Amino acid sequence: MNNRIFKRIVKNKASLTGFVLVACFALVALLAPVLAPADNPRDPYQIPQHSYEMTPQPPSAQHWFGTTEQQYDLYYGVIWGTRLAFKVGITVTFFAFLIGLFLGSAAAYFGGKTDELIMRFTDVIFAIPSLVLAMVIAAMLGPDLNNMMIALTAVAWPSYARLVRGDVLSVKNRDFVIASKALGARGPRLLLKHILPNSIYPSVVVASLDIGYIVLTAASLSFLGLGAQAGTADWGQLIAMARNWVLGDGTNTFAYWYTVVVPGGAIFLFVLGWNLLGDGFRDILDPRQG
Amino acid sequence: MSALVEIKNLTKSYRKGGWFAKAQDKTILRKVTISLREHEILGLVGESGCGKTTLAKVILGLEPYQSGSVQVLKQELNKLNKAQFQYLRRDMQVVFQDPYSSLDPRMTVKQILSEPWDIHGLHKDKTIREEKLKELMQAVGLDPAHLHRYPHEFSGGQRQRIAIARALALAPKILVADEPVSALDVSVQAQILNLLKEISRQRGLSVLFISHDFGVARFLCDRIAVMYQGKIVECGPAEKLLKNPQHPYTEALLSAVPLPDPNLQKNREPVPTKYDLSLAESLCPYAARCHYYNVQVCEQPSALTETKEKGHQCACTRLPFQNDKSRYAV
Repeated sequence: MNNRIFKRIVKNKASLTGFVLVACFALVALLAPVLAPADNPRDPYQIPQHSYEMTPQPPSAQHWFGTTEQQYDLYYGVIWGTRLAFKVGITVTFFAFLIGLFLGSAAAYFGGKTDELIMRFTDVIFAIPSLVLAMVIAAMLGPDLNNMMIALTAVAWPSYARLVRGDVLSVKNRDFVIASKALGARGPRLLLKHILPNSIYPSVVVASLDIGYIVLTAASLSFLGLGAQAGTADWGQLIAMARNWVLGDGTNTFAYWYTVVVPGGAIFLFVLGWNLLGDGFRDILDPRQG
Repeated sequence: MSALVEIKNLTKSYRKGGWFAKAQDKTILRKVTISLREHEILGLVGESGCGKTTLAKVILGLEPYQSGSVQVLKQELNKLNKAQFQYLRRDMQVVFQDPYSSLDPRMTVKQILSEPWDIHGLHKDKTIREEKLKELMQAVGLDPAHLHRYPHEFSGGQRQRIAIARALALAPKILVADEPVSALDVSVQAQILNLLKEISRQRGLSVLFISHDFGVARFLCDRIAVMYQGKIVECGPAEKLLKNPQHPYTEALLSAVPLPDPNLQKNREPVPTKYDLSLAESLCPYAARCHYYNVQVCEQPSALTETKEKGHQCACTRLPFQNDKSRYAV
C-alpha cells in the first residue's frame, strides 16, 4: 500500500518535485544541529548575533548566506527556521484537522440542532477574514510562538469542519452504510469503519496543502511582530528584519538582495513543495485509481 | 403456512421542515397490509416513488413507523428493545439495488463478508471463519481466491454476488431484495436472478423481492403485490395476477410491458393515458389516472378485498373488474 503510494508520487513529475522539495526541507530540519551547530543548545532557535551593527553583510566564507540587520546569520536562521516551519505547520494543521474532524463529523452524523449549532458557529469564524482574526487572537494572547500557533489553529479548523461535514453527509446515506446498519452495526462502528474512512481523504489532501499555507500565514504574523520575537530563527521574522533593506542603499536597489531572497526563497520553496505534494496526494488517495 | 412478516395497516410519513420552515408531513405508506409467508418469494411491484423501498426499510427497522403493526417472526418491531432487535436482525437481511454503492470501497471482500460476524460476535475462530468465507464465496459463484480484492476490481454482477453473500452470512430466514437486478446489464440480470432463485430454494429463504419489472417478477415470484402511491392495490399468486389483473393500475402497468413479438405489439391497443387533476383528492388513489373512473362506484373507500379467485385480492371498488385482454396479453 505505502509502496504503491510512493511509486505513484515518483511517477508524476509535479508530485515528484514536491516530494523532493519537502524531503529536502525535512532533511534540513532533521539535520539542523549538524548543519548549523547551536551556540546555546538550550535555545537553538535563537540566532547567534556577531555584532550589533545595523547594515547587513553580503555572503562570505564565514556567513554563507550573509547576515541580516544587526548581524544575525541568515544561514543559521534559514536552517533552524526550517525546523520551526515544520513544527508550526504540522502542529497547527494537526490540531486544526482534529478539531474540524470532530466537529464536522459530529454535526453531520447527529444532524438536526447539533448540526445547526456547530455549523453556524463555524460560519461565524469563517465570516471573519482569517488573517485578521489570527492577528486579533495573537495580539490578545501576547506575542509568543505558542500563542501564534493557537491563533492559527483557531482560524484554520472551520474549513476542515465544513469539508468533513459535507463528506460525512454524502457518505452516511450511501447504501453500504445502510447495509451495515441493517446488519446491526451501531454508531461508533458506522462512523469509524465506514463513514470516516470514506470521507476524510479530501480533508487529508487539504491538510497537506495547508501545511504550506499555515507556514505562510505564520510568517505573516511574525512579520507583523505577533509571532516569533526578534532574533528567532523564523522565516517571517527574518523577512521582517529585511524590511528596511528591501529598497537597497539608494543607488543600487539590489544591494541587500540576500536579506529578502534567502528567507523568502525558503518560504517560497517550502509552500511550493507542499502544494505539489498535496496535488499528488489528491490523485493518489482517490480510491478509483487504486 | 405461517407468515414470517405480517404487516397490518402500516402508515408511515416523513416530516419535512426545521427551525424556520413549517413542519410538514409527507405520507409515504397508507394502511399497507401484506404478509410474507414461509419459503415464498413475494414480488412487490410499482412505479418509482410509490413507497416500495420505504416499506423495505420499515421492515428492516431502518425507518420508524407511525401507526399500524409490523411483525417479523411474530415480534412487533416497535416493541423490541435494542438487544432483541439486534438479535432479530440476524434473521432478516437486505440486498440493495446498486452494487456500486452498497459495498464499502475501502474494504476487501473478506472484510465485507466478515463484518456481519464481527457485529454479532460469531465465528471468532480463524479457521472456522476461513472455511465459512470459502463456503459463502462458492455459494454465490465467486472464486474464494478473490477474497483479498477490493470491490472496484469486480464487475457489477460480481459485486451483486458479493452483496448477496454478505446478506447470507448470518443465515437469515428473510431476505429483502430491493431491485437487486435493475442496475445490472440484462445479460447479467438473468444470472443474478437464477442465483437468487437457487439460493432461496436451497436455504428455504423467504424473499421480499422489490421490482418495477413484471418480467423479472414473473420469473422469480410466487406471489406479486402491486403498489400505487403507498397502497397495495392488488395482491395475488403471480400467474393469476399476470394473466387476469383485477386492478386498472395493474392492467395499465402490464400493458406498458413491451411484447417481444413486433406484430403483437403493433396490434395491441394501449391503455389510454390521462391525468385528471380534479380527481387527485378522490378516495381511490388511482382515480386521477383511471380511465374506468365512475363517480357512482369510485367515490367510496376501497380496501383490499378477496376476488373470485382464492388468494387474489384487489382494492378496486369496481369489482368484479372486467379487463380487456387484448391490451396486455402476456
